[in-house]
Amino acid sequence: MTDQRIDTDALVVGAGIAGLQSALDLADRGYKVLLVEKTASIGGKMIALSKVFPTMDCASCITTPRMSSAAHHDNITTWTYTDVDSIAPDGTAFTAHLTRKARYVDEDLCIGCRLCEYACPVELPHEFEGNMGARRAAYIPFGTAIPQKALIDIDACVYCGKCEKACPTDAIDFGQEPVSVTVHARSVVIATGFETTPLDAKKEYRGGVAANVISALDMERLLSPNGPYGRVLRPSDGKIPDSVAYVQCAGSRDETLGVPYCSRVCCMYAIKQTMLLSGSLPLADITVYYMDIRAFGKGYEQFYQTARSMGINFVKAKVARIEEEPNGDLRLRVEIIEEDGRVTEAVHDLVVLSVGLKPGDDPRRFIGVDLDQYGFVASPEPKLDATLTSMPGVAAAGTAIGPKDIVDSIVEASAAATKIATYLGPPPNSPQVPEDGLAVDVREIKAGDALAVAGRSEVQRG
Amino acid sequence: MAERRSKPKGADKATPATPATRATPQQPVRGEKVGVYVCHCGGNISDVVDVDRVATEASQLEGVAVARHIMFMCSDEGQKAIVDDIEALGLDRVVVAACTPKLHEATFRRALQRGGMNPYLFLPANIREQASWAHPHSPKAATEKAIALVRAAVAKAEMLEPLDKVRVAAVHRSLVIGGGVAGLRAALDLARQGVGVTLIEKSPFLGGRSVQLHTVFPTEDPARPLVHRLIDEVKAERNVSILTNTEVVALTGYVGDFTITLRTTPRGVSRDLRKSAEAIAACPVKVANEFNDGIDERKAIYQPYPGSEPDLPAIDWATCTRCGDCLTAAGAGIDLNAEPVETRIEAGAIVVATGFDHYQPRPGEYGYAASPRVVTLPQVHRMLDPEGPTGGRLEIDGRVPRSVAFIHCVGSRQIEGVDEPGPAGKLHEYCSRVCCTATLQAANELRKKYPDTAVYDLYRDIRTYGRDQEPYYVDSSKKGVVFMRFANEDRPKVEVVEGANYPLKVTVTDTLTFGAEIEVPVDLVILSVGVQPRDISEFIDMTHAPVGADGFLLEVHPKLRPVESAIPGLLLAGTVQAPMDITESTSAASAAAAKVTALLASDHVEMEPFVAKVDPSRCDGCGLCLDACHYAGAIALQDVEIEEGVVEKRAYVNPVACKGCGACVPSCPVSALDVASWEIDQYKAMIDAITAQPLIAGAR
Repeated sequence: MTDQRIDTDALVVGAGIAGLQSALDLADRGYKVLLVEKTASIGGKMIALSKVFPTMDCASCITTPRMSSAAHHDNITTWTYTDVDSIAPDGTAFTAHLTRKARYVDEDLCIGCRLCEYACPVELPHEFEGNMGARRAAYIPFGTAIPQKALIDIDACVYCGKCEKACPTDAIDFGQEPVSVTVHARSVVIATGFETTPLDAKKEYRGGVAANVISALDMERLLSPNGPYGRVLRPSDGKIPDSVAYVQCAGSRDETLGVPYCSRVCCMYAIKQTMLLSGSLPLADITVYYMDIRAFGKGYEQFYQTARSMGINFVKAKVARIEEEPNGDLRLRVEIIEEDGRVTEAVHDLVVLSVGLKPGDDPRRFIGVDLDQYGFVASPEPKLDATLTSMPGVAAAGTAIGPKDIVDSIVEASAAATKIATYLGPPPNSPQVPEDGLAVDVREIKAGDALAVAGRSEVQRG
Repeated sequence: MAERRSKPKGADKATPATPATRATPQQPVRGEKVGVYVCHCGGNISDVVDVDRVATEASQLEGVAVARHIMFMCSDEGQKAIVDDIEALGLDRVVVAACTPKLHEATFRRALQRGGMNPYLFLPANIREQASWAHPHSPKAATEKAIALVRAAVAKAEMLEPLDKVRVAAVHRSLVIGGGVAGLRAALDLARQGVGVTLIEKSPFLGGRSVQLHTVFPTEDPARPLVHRLIDEVKAERNVSILTNTEVVALTGYVGDFTITLRTTPRGVSRDLRKSAEAIAACPVKVANEFNDGIDERKAIYQPYPGSEPDLPAIDWATCTRCGDCLTAAGAGIDLNAEPVETRIEAGAIVVATGFDHYQPRPGEYGYAASPRVVTLPQVHRMLDPEGPTGGRLEIDGRVPRSVAFIHCVGSRQIEGVDEPGPAGKLHEYCSRVCCTATLQAANELRKKYPDTAVYDLYRDIRTYGRDQEPYYVDSSKKGVVFMRFANEDRPKVEVVEGANYPLKVTVTDTLTFGAEIEVPVDLVILSVGVQPRDISEFIDMTHAPVGADGFLLEVHPKLRPVESAIPGLLLAGTVQAPMDITESTSAASAAAAKVTALLASDHVEMEPFVAKVDPSRCDGCGLCLDACHYAGAIALQDVEIEEGVVEKRAYVNPVACKGCGACVPSCPVSALDVASWEIDQYKAMIDAITAQPLIAGAR
């Protein structure tokens, strides 16, 4: 292992949409930012989504410009495939130890031509595609990845050397080793994001066992124009589904799973997906089994009502269990909460579990901030300053603080940037508040006195 | 033509301190090496439009050096293709055929810049919204249309001229409108980052709606100490001037340099007032007390609660009779003859944090106004406040109610044909976001405080979505709150029953008990009223800030620019934009502060150069364009030395005040006006390009 040292104003941990936004806001302000990401591309979960509610913009169209802006910003250094091992206060700032993992590809030489990928004989399930598509052992993480640099999955590599021969720039380097880096950062933003609750959390739903019980994140890939199949097919046999069921709160609002909280986004992403499905599968029946529909954000309720008027079948019900039929269909035992309260069975050929959100990483692994009982970063001032942490100079943003949608994550990321900028003090060459240029009456009012403004006499007294 | 244009004389207030830089006028150079890039948009375009054909057709156009089609032009790969081609092929114009320029025009301009080109030599052709999405079932015709659009774009692109951004000297101060939690949070964040703040509040007191609560969810912290902590922090900042009783009455200028006229209504009371209690007691006027949501009365000289900010009464001039009794009782510190004062300030950016109003139920809506026993949740909040008018006791006619029913979604999630539109003729179709948790918080408190009181909760969906909010729902069930769910179209009815044991009867078709019609006898009905936009129409008229269909101020894009108004320099904080709780409002305010500081990060602000321009060789100074212009100070007649010793009037466009609307262009009888990059000759070329080939008739 070799050693590098680097100084930065802000170390942003996590390059999903929240980390990207915090980094961009700080960089636009004139601070130097080091943005680190543990996976091989920036973009986080958002870049894998199909479209986003309630505007139905394609997710790539909204995410890629952010990714690109960050990657090209003069004040941002982006390191992907980098682990944060520790961050500790060192008196005036923070000392962070990072590991830049070995890609086995020289990032400076790689031109992203993918010839290594085409040459590689090893086929593996593609994580980015919810393991539905395939990738090679030498690969670029996905089409819109940034950087467009290959890496080699060394655990799966058969060392055939074909990639090495195919590479036109001699970028393949099987001798590459991880690099330890010590970073002196004046501040830190934690934007470590979320993971979905496990597909098999509720054994009775057969997630992870029955091929046609998939997670909503998998459905995002199926619905993506550049997804694994290019259209919606069910995984077991490639059949075009005629009947799709959504099981809401399949991982949230459930004490037994240790996730008693609401995950905030599942109602809306399910509604969005059903609308997209009814576009791509106009003949399919789509049913959503739910407890409460929580369409609380700006424009969300209207979005929900649109879905209802499109004929999506919303049923207030509890799904007790799911059984797999020999032909891959799924038999749901459902307790209808409304109507006659009957317990009934329904057969669907594809079931989507609306899995919940849990912390994407345990920040305590590398930094001593306080967390709540579920592992989300806790603010000492949750009402007035939600992005603060228990450590001065450390802010948090997005789903690292708790489940939330993209809009709220982006707003919060900008708020976190404000907290960090406040902590750091103005960057060099910042303009000062002009002494003149203010109307006389206002300038001369001292802060406290101004409250008691009683009219002209007091205003002019100054 | 350029040499003859001298600098305008008598630069006035509207002229930027830093002169606006313009393209160095020169003989326009036609583009000869155009790069054309056709985007698949991951299928959004290529599923309908034959992008390969579009690129092939484009490559055969005169002046086109290269034409490619790429999966996502906005991705790094797409942008890199542009940069690489600029370097390798020496492109002099770039056309990207992709989505609406609203999304990525800026992205591609930056790519040109990285490639060393002037960013305004880029032109978008929208073949998504205008071709693939418009004609999803006619792929051939959509392809033909896309080709025509690209042909037109190339024709125009060849005529584009390099432009430079307009630079405006920025005032490093801001105006924050609204003294609730969002405004306070924004003011504090700005001041702490070195941006001067004038914080104005329309009412005589700071704190907004939050100080009317007694505890906040989910922390259960007392509300007023929480808000006052924030107020104290704002007051401690040297850079903040706070004006209560103050409104914006006029606004001119633009991002970086707004001039705002404020009107401060006198408080009528000064710090010399020592005998507040005596003065208030002496006042003979009684009016509904808005701080307690009308459940009690206040005087014309009043203070909402002890320790309010400022900790001084104020006079409500709308109801004061100027009888002088208060002054007689107090002896000093009251001035009934004070006049409003107007103040002019300058600000580089404005944070709008004017907050919300509670939905006001119509008389008869769920029995509202038909019975004093039908109240709103905000009123109940005041009753449950230990420092409130009832000392924290929920009492009706002096008695604790035996049975209470909450009804959710009053004034929220309204449905056409079921609900009646409000006075503005609009339904509140949106969810008000905060009422579910606030209702269950109150329901729990009632069960705890009055274990003998039965609590019913009539709802549609329980939306306790936020951090630590779900426990309110779980607890309320455990505490014995009885939930009943009504269908969207089948609302509960509230009737006054004379002489019965319980004065109110609520009838609900409860879908949780298989649609049974249930009659619930109660002493009190509590309406969970929603959040509605506050009337800030005067401010909207002044600023032209866009308003959404829901009546709240509209952001540019919910994800790309969630706290920015389309009016440059105008930022949104809190419930002026949408219903939000306190946490969400303060986060939005901090985010708005981030945008202000980025905007004012240097001593100038840059604006797009798409403004009107005058050809002084044609202009004869007739002045007709001045009448056509919609924006103050955008066009003026200036003395120009047209040749040695000869001075004549010529039109001059102030590029900062001009919005590039083009209203002046057709007014000019000698065609001396044009808008940069939207020039008449360019349009002619586009039309010629489109009509050069007939579209295939009946193509499918």
